[in-house]
Amino acid sequence: MAVETFFLAMIISLIIIIVMMLFRVFKGPSVYDRLNGLGVIGVDAILLLVLIGFYNKREDMFVDISLAYAILGFISMVVLAKYIGAKGDSDA
Amino acid sequence: MKILGLILLFLGFFFILIAAVGVLRLPDFYTRLHASGKSETLGMLLSFLGLALYEGFSLTSVKLIFIVVFILLANPTGTHVISRAAYRAGLKPWMRKGE
Repeated sequence: MAVETFFLAMIISLIIIIVMMLFRVFKGPSVYDRLNGLGVIGVDAILLLVLIGFYNKREDMFVDISLAYAILGFISMVVLAKYIGAKGDSDA
Repeated sequence: MKILGLILLFLGFFFILIAAVGVLRLPDFYTRLHASGKSETLGMLLSFLGLALYEGFSLTSVKLIFIVVFILLANPTGTHVISRAAYRAGLKPWMRKGE
């Protein structure tokens, strides 16, 4: 039981960290700061998904979801950086 | 082995917290990218290794090791792509006053 409490505490702390990162995404001075905040949120969400799986004892299903989310987040970040770098940022 | 896994998980969470504080508090874009590029990668690596040790030897732990290898390759690459796009767009690094 104590292990599940530990997992629950880590899940809540990760959600708080993700909300803190949303501050950087909404406020960030340049568009690259927003992109950096989105990348950090994407990487934190991978760990959050695996921890939710361990808390519910369904880790064999949630590991596949988080693996797909990791690949998708990496590809979307590279494509967005290339697109904004070619187009030029509008704010900043 | 389970206790060692939980200790590694907590250590990784500590580094993730340091990365979040660095991204929020540092003064410049490149320093913020530095915080999220290295500390975040180390935290994720320690966390997933801890979860794999907690799980024991099974297909799930092999997939967790696979996520570790992918993050170790992908996270520095993404940081490099963002910093290259910002440098080409002409974003100046933060200097001390008078330099």
